[in-house]
Amino acid sequence: MDAMERRVFLKGASMGLLAFTVGGIDTLMTPGEARARAVPFRLLNGEEAETLEALGEALVPGAREAGIAHFIDQQVSVPPGEALLEARIVNVKPPFMNFYRAAIGGVDRASTTRSGKRFAALSASEQHDFIDALRQNKINGWQRPPGGLVYFVLRSDAVDVVYGTMEGYESLGVPYLPHIAPDKRW
Amino acid sequence: MATQAKLEEKVDVVIAGAGASGSTFAAVLARAGKKVVLIDNGPDWQLTDLISSDLWGRRIKPAGPPFILEGKQVAPIGYHGGWGVGGAALHWFANVPRLLPNDFRIKSEHNRAHDWPIAYEDVAPWYDKVADDIGISGDARAEQLWRPAGRDYPMPPMKTFKNGEVWLKGFAANNIRMVPAAVAMNSVDYKGRPACIYDGWCHVGCPIGALANPQVTYLGEARAAGAEVRAWSTVTRVLTDASGKKATGVEYFDRDGEKHVQPASVVVCASWAAQNPRLLLNSATDKHPNGLANASGLVGKYIMTHFTAVTNAMFDDDLEGAKGTIGGQFMSYERYAKTAHKGAFGSTLLVCGGAAKASGLTGIHNARPDLFGPALADFMKRAVKDFTRFTAACEEQPKIENRVELVTEKDEFGMPLARIVHNYDDNEAALWNANFEEGLKIARATGAKEVWQLRTAMPAIHLMGGTIMGTGADNSVVDSFGQTHEVPNLYVAGPGIFPTCGASNPTYTIFALSLRGAENLASNWGTIAG
Repeated sequence: MDAMERRVFLKGASMGLLAFTVGGIDTLMTPGEARARAVPFRLLNGEEAETLEALGEALVPGAREAGIAHFIDQQVSVPPGEALLEARIVNVKPPFMNFYRAAIGGVDRASTTRSGKRFAALSASEQHDFIDALRQNKINGWQRPPGGLVYFVLRSDAVDVVYGTMEGYESLGVPYLPHIAPDKRW
Repeated sequence: MATQAKLEEKVDVVIAGAGASGSTFAAVLARAGKKVVLIDNGPDWQLTDLISSDLWGRRIKPAGPPFILEGKQVAPIGYHGGWGVGGAALHWFANVPRLLPNDFRIKSEHNRAHDWPIAYEDVAPWYDKVADDIGISGDARAEQLWRPAGRDYPMPPMKTFKNGEVWLKGFAANNIRMVPAAVAMNSVDYKGRPACIYDGWCHVGCPIGALANPQVTYLGEARAAGAEVRAWSTVTRVLTDASGKKATGVEYFDRDGEKHVQPASVVVCASWAAQNPRLLLNSATDKHPNGLANASGLVGKYIMTHFTAVTNAMFDDDLEGAKGTIGGQFMSYERYAKTAHKGAFGSTLLVCGGAAKASGLTGIHNARPDLFGPALADFMKRAVKDFTRFTAACEEQPKIENRVELVTEKDEFGMPLARIVHNYDDNEAALWNANFEEGLKIARATGAKEVWQLRTAMPAIHLMGGTIMGTGADNSVVDSFGQTHEVPNLYVAGPGIFPTCGASNPTYTIFALSLRGAENLASNWGTIAG
């Protein structure tokens, strides 16, 4: 990593912020702040973002407000080597957007087939039942990526934005104990 | 992408990969006065890059590695692999159990698998030397319950925490003696590096130098002795002369896609058990039509892993689970005999007391992967205080069907991707289940209020084999120093040269074998380098 990259990286990490584009200008903020300010998505379309927020919230309460859709949207827009996504740990092949687009599309197609509604429109108990079937690879007609993998990765993403930050540790009452502190939320 | 290669000035040694093994070779040879170049495909990570965060910690791991994973229990690549200078040893857990004497003679004693061409006694002095070089904390005399005496570790054992201590009652009730875990971390200040502060972020990289990553050990020494590191550069072929009997250097591509040729008197492939076979297979010539150093047909074969049987528990106590070190506080070789468990073959290493964070692959949420929604939120609140686990790490036996092989699809440099096929067999399943059964007995004897295990999939950790050592080209790729049988000035370093893998975490043995191989190369330079 050259000096310029390292400075940029450390600036983002130490401030606990990601670069979101507002009015054509890259601005550092948390995904939750990006959501609150309705920052436009870079790659997700409106329906994809809506589904992703609904999935995240059903997986880990608080994920919607923490900005899971903005987090993933920002992360799939950067080079794979820069990404902070659990997807890279489980050998998902870049570009990571392909995985998320296929996963979100698969969820909405299956939800519509099962219930006549997209996932975001399901009731809480319907969403629960859907996810329970997804994690066990029991969605009829589901294709790739594997349902269990989609569940694992999206659940990890939701855990990341809700619990994986300094703020998340604080909400659990756990000391964060950083060496090099992501001194706000990351 | 340029097609005309830029010819670099010849060096004594070129090393593909700047992780644990490459750094060790580099340190020894640079100190011996050799001109050394390390070439690594990722960033030149510095300690200041190691942010204490499971999210930011993913940046030091592979992103889209060039491997297609197949089999029922796929090879561990994403979490266990390295990317960039320091390699996987930049984020290793730093558990340093040794292999034991029985690991070196499985064929002789049990008519299974392979014997090593060397004995424990050949490696033991190098274990001792590595301990002094990189700094190990532990109680070597306590380990004499199970292994021959060696030197004391240079530092006393690490501090322990409740999340490890609560298991001791259960182990004792099952006649399992636990000793302080040997770890490559500083329990006290050592060689100018500070003592550990037990923040539990070892797995995303220790930026204070209390944990012995390459940057603060052999790689730092190599650089101080003049070794050059070329980051963001990907070696795609080892080059040989017209006779096919001598390596002449490597071909690599830099970050801008420019092709280079780096001539060298000696080539060391130190790119991990997955990439080294890929590199050798892609270095085929008319003299080596099946891949370089592959007359045996064994390049890429006998890929091995460890698998874990984890027992989880909740206690009525605040165990301060986020504190400590990620690796472990106590360990035992009590089940290390190959026939320790009736009906199953293979060693088991028991470890307890690793820190558990709130996110990441080893985060507490993944102790109950079935939970989501409000049930997960409730579990998280309880588990951050009450949760702990212990791990039985188990030995896989080498199987020729577990392999790395090239496929037709190519990467950005025109190098074929590789497929890694990996499966466990019935014996491994039996060993896994036996450890689960014993794990329940241990946990129930602790007085834990909840005990559970995940038996849905056998998790593979660590990657070894693929370029195994042996007595000749009829049964192996390299000798015990890592020198290939067919091309004397070509070495392979790292866990790929293990012919069997025991149940002990591999990195200590990687350091020891690399130190032994590098010292032998330095001592016989004139003969080998020609």
